[in-house]
Amino acid sequence: MAHLDLTAVEQIVRRIGTGQDRLLELLHALQDHFGYLPCEALQRLSEITGISPADIWGVATFYDRFRHSPAGRHTIHVCVGTACHVKGAELVHEAFRRYLKIPEGQDTDQQMRFTVMKVACLGCCTLAPAVQIDGITYGHLTGESVGQVLEDFLQRQASRQADIQARPAKKDRMAAQIRIGLGSCCQARGSAGLYSALKEVLSERGLDAEVKTVGCVGMCHQTPLLELIIGDKSYLYARVRPEDLDQIIGRHIQSPRPLRALVVAAKRSLDQLIAGPLEQHNHAILLEPRDRPVQEFLGNQIRIVTECSGQIDPLDLGQYIEAGGFAGLRRCLDGLSAEYVIEQIRISGLRGRGGAGFPTYAKWAAVRAQQTQPKYVICNGDEGDPGAFMDRMLMESYPFRIIEGMTIAAWCVGAREGFFYIRAEYPLALQRIQKAIQICTEGGYLGRSIMGTDFSLDLRIIPGAGAFVCGEETAMIASIEGRRGHPRFRPPFPAEHGLWGRPTLINNVETFATVPWILRNGGSALAAIGTQTSKGTKVFALAGKVARGGLIEVPMGIKIRQIVEQIGGGCAEGRPFKAVQVGGPSGGSISAELDHLGIDYETLNEAGAMMGSGGLVVLDEGDCMVDMARYFLQFTQNQSCGKCAFCRIGTRRMLEILDAICQGQGKEQDLDELWNLAQMVQKASLCGLGKTAPKPVLTSLRYFRSEYIAHLQGRCPAGRCRALIRYMITDKCNGCTLCAQHCPAEAIGWTPYQQHAIDQTRCIKCGTCKAVCPCNAVRVE
Amino acid sequence: MPILVIDGRSVTVPPGTTILEAARSAGIEIPTLCFLEGLGGGTSCMLCVVKVSGVRDLVPACAAKVADGMEVLTSDPQIHQARRTALELLLSDHVGDCMAPCQLACPAHMVIPAMIRAIAQADLAGAIRVVKSTIAMPAVASRLCNAPCQKACRRGRLDEPVAICLLKRLVAELDLHAPSPFAPTPEAPRSARVAVVGAGPAGLACAYYLAWAGISVTVFDDRSEPGGTLRDVGEKFLPRGLLDAEIRTILDTGLQMQMGIRVGKDIPLRTLRSQFNAVVLAIGATAGQQASQLGLSAGADGLSVDSQTYQTDLPGVFAAGDAVRPRRMVSRALAEGRAIAHCVRQYVQGMPIQGIRMPFNSHIGQVDRGVLDQMILLASKDRQVRPVEEQVGFSLAEGRQEAARCLHCDCRKAQSCGLRRLADLYQARQSRFKGSRRAFALVLDHPDLIYEPGKCISCGICVRLTRLYQERYGLTFIGRGFQMGLGVPFGKGLAEGIERCAAHCVRACPTGALAWR
Repeated sequence: MAHLDLTAVEQIVRRIGTGQDRLLELLHALQDHFGYLPCEALQRLSEITGISPADIWGVATFYDRFRHSPAGRHTIHVCVGTACHVKGAELVHEAFRRYLKIPEGQDTDQQMRFTVMKVACLGCCTLAPAVQIDGITYGHLTGESVGQVLEDFLQRQASRQADIQARPAKKDRMAAQIRIGLGSCCQARGSAGLYSALKEVLSERGLDAEVKTVGCVGMCHQTPLLELIIGDKSYLYARVRPEDLDQIIGRHIQSPRPLRALVVAAKRSLDQLIAGPLEQHNHAILLEPRDRPVQEFLGNQIRIVTECSGQIDPLDLGQYIEAGGFAGLRRCLDGLSAEYVIEQIRISGLRGRGGAGFPTYAKWAAVRAQQTQPKYVICNGDEGDPGAFMDRMLMESYPFRIIEGMTIAAWCVGAREGFFYIRAEYPLALQRIQKAIQICTEGGYLGRSIMGTDFSLDLRIIPGAGAFVCGEETAMIASIEGRRGHPRFRPPFPAEHGLWGRPTLINNVETFATVPWILRNGGSALAAIGTQTSKGTKVFALAGKVARGGLIEVPMGIKIRQIVEQIGGGCAEGRPFKAVQVGGPSGGSISAELDHLGIDYETLNEAGAMMGSGGLVVLDEGDCMVDMARYFLQFTQNQSCGKCAFCRIGTRRMLEILDAICQGQGKEQDLDELWNLAQMVQKASLCGLGKTAPKPVLTSLRYFRSEYIAHLQGRCPAGRCRALIRYMITDKCNGCTLCAQHCPAEAIGWTPYQQHAIDQTRCIKCGTCKAVCPCNAVRVE
Repeated sequence: MPILVIDGRSVTVPPGTTILEAARSAGIEIPTLCFLEGLGGGTSCMLCVVKVSGVRDLVPACAAKVADGMEVLTSDPQIHQARRTALELLLSDHVGDCMAPCQLACPAHMVIPAMIRAIAQADLAGAIRVVKSTIAMPAVASRLCNAPCQKACRRGRLDEPVAICLLKRLVAELDLHAPSPFAPTPEAPRSARVAVVGAGPAGLACAYYLAWAGISVTVFDDRSEPGGTLRDVGEKFLPRGLLDAEIRTILDTGLQMQMGIRVGKDIPLRTLRSQFNAVVLAIGATAGQQASQLGLSAGADGLSVDSQTYQTDLPGVFAAGDAVRPRRMVSRALAEGRAIAHCVRQYVQGMPIQGIRMPFNSHIGQVDRGVLDQMILLASKDRQVRPVEEQVGFSLAEGRQEAARCLHCDCRKAQSCGLRRLADLYQARQSRFKGSRRAFALVLDHPDLIYEPGKCISCGICVRLTRLYQERYGLTFIGRGFQMGLGVPFGKGLAEGIERCAAHCVRACPTGALAWR
């Protein structure tokens, strides 16, 4: 092996610092530099920083993001989040591996070109199934389309290579990026050709712009959304039609040469989110809701956390202040007492939006009551649940609101230092919060003497590194301190014994984002919304088999039916609505029969689910509930930190029982064993991850036991479990040979003009034949 | 100072005390594997779970601090169930054997590996003690036994099994020829008197272990000499001199011998029952025919007894050996003699009769060649030693050479393992959860230590100890979740990871994961 140049390690340490609380940042930087974490570099890191070898090695091997062997030149992240899972992510993952001929047990092809990895959730749920290749997101993949995607990606690379030669400066190369939302609703509106049309327009004009497909930001029913990013400015268009493209592109990017000038000029102007009938001359931006679905979608929503949705620029402090931003903080600093503010929070009935629903005021009061100093505040932005992306959207869209809420909290409890813990899978959120902190510090809203008073607060970002368990508050504290993300027993709670043993307030992104509104409108205004026990609103990521997926903010107590049918527009593919999965891996699937239930903390708990952070995945008759339980357990099992025996081994054994059932090898006593073990893991695990991991299993056993029994008898009623199904070609077959051409396993004979047949011994059940068949002649039994 | 109630008892402890420590201070033992005095608990094994009033879930006592007025319950069926489940989960991923396959195959369950290691170290006194603890007549047994132990020996899958039977013979015969052969020191004398009817292998073995336990024994037999059917074995297979010498070591424990007396004819069983606290019938294969004479019921094979306790339907009358089931295997008869002695002893002491209970035993199960290749690393690579003089058996030198071939399949900490002790206590079943488990591995890159990752329960005690003793590299957890393992940073060897505190780690490790070589 070539000798490794370790001088970069010194430079990185000089830039970032030597404290153990810098360890995650240091490791991220090392990985950015080397492409992985070479052992020698880590050893050097220990020598320079004095952080113990055990800590460095333990932390470096704890998180998913850190690699210990060189990766391919490009990384394909296949999202296996809930929405992607139900839409066949597993098949896509396999298809990439097959296409690249990656040997069993490895993740990189022989030529070291591509590394294929699963990622828990990219938060592009409406693009499901989605993949990200080196930051470029592709959506709606099938096993069949992976070849095209890779081809497309490599073409881009080639043109980029040329680019780099011409203009080596990285920023220029990225000067223009066009993002297109390609949610399922886009396709429904007959505009699937937008992507190719855009490429055409760009090539006609000889423009160098990266075209990126992204998930939508809550207006999925108004898509296609098109976002132009020029330099660090962004312009968002809604309802774009192919014929609008020429005009839009022409307005922002004239030609390669003036582009530079435009970028310079644009720097002085402000980012603009064009999302209203402001620009009359362009059809593409008509956003006024005229049709009923739009009314239904919006009419059921209340905007508190997402106040000014689509109206203000995320990083425009002036606009935020104009919309009432920092008025809450000003009131505090102008003479309110902390007791008064905490009382308002109490009156508001605000409860933790991270999932558990602990009364927010009680946490604040507990930290405030502590006599020791220093104290800390932490914003939990480690939204790890697959199928949830509310916090990402809030951080990307309303960074100032979160900072204001956090600042008010810090002032109330007496903290002078705070941390944003944000998962690394959210680069844009990291970037926006970073920028927002800088803007606030420059504007006197953070740092020393905030708004001219003697109150000071410094905020810092800790980038997560891919560990779901770090969303648990004690694990998060360990992670910030630069240790493995192992939780510890509570009590003592962080309010008493938190970061470095000091009193620490930890609230979720959404919780903090609600605070400024309460300060401006009073606690009772929030309390007027919602149910007896659950006040205010909740942001949900609505995804899965629903027609209109997206991000929604709804009042607590709203009925499941209202969300699925009115806001979501029912099931997209016409199959009957079967269940809604609430709360991700910590929650459960609530049967459609219970769609009259209102969504609040208590009702969901009683139904066996949990509010969680707010993922709502709609399932239809094509979804297998045993498979769903297995899917979530696979996730939590994989994310278990390993500290306590119940979670480490118990979730594994539960998963193995479920695997056997899905394979058709389950035995009758397995159901009892599964139930008993699930109960034990729930009762005796150390932290929230283990205590809630059995919920998806327990709810599915409770509501869908008959499906389990069907599996024991060798049937998967939804036709999902591959060991229990087979693909058949019916007499609808016209003998076009498409299936035979595309079958990757050569399981279909070439019989032109005759009915084809599948060799079951060769069939790998990838579903390609079904996808390519033009006459719907492939049936799943 | 907080006052709390633990299992109905009021306990006062300083603030900040954990429930576990508070319970201990009150003499209430809560099981734990990841707690270490001075280091505290690790909330890893979760065996210390208890119930705290007002708390819905189970609470780890090693981490939960006491509070004034707290009410704690340390044991009830649900807590027991949780602990048992925790143990069963740990055991489902515990790749190691407590006892070696040879010991399990031996009818007497002799601790064969311990005997072999004693021979290897030329510790003959130690070796004979191990042998005689389970086999009353090892010299006789080694001439007649068909050695199931050697069929189970893992070494046999690599080349040939360890010649266990010859090694046992070596130990036994060297002892018989010694100036003062091994004589057990009887436990404190007891007032109990037991009659053993039959001086065959089962009867003699039974008498031997009863005498060892301090019970006064009278042996009745209708033959003129003790030995029973062993006297019928040909000289070629069992030299008379050897038989006499070995029987002598048994009689020397102070047995009263009543030869030439047939119980049921010369003396009624009734009389024995009235004169002795218990009667053992080891009357051989003809027992079935004598049953009615004795007033006992019989089945097709022999006397009817309770299979666990060897009790006949007459109180205080036990039966064993060929009298119950003809097996014609001297090792089995000897083993049964010892087992029955155990039951009789429990009976005369008024204790519940359980016999010799097999302790919990973790099994690896079938091992593949890769495992064997690792196991042989610490053993002699030589083929099986052939005694120069086949008739005489091993010389001590040959025996030591052969003993070095043993793979040490048994756990180095079988006697001190906390996991085994608790698995026994909670009657955990290792087979409850089947599924993937770690691979067997031996880490041998430390001069004094052996690390067996398959036996690690991730309690973290050694990780904390290496930190406490400020090891240069120390140990850390690597990876996460089910795949989490223990290792030395930067891929260094164990010798670099543990330079200072090996003794502390071995002592504190609750399983056989870290042990002396």
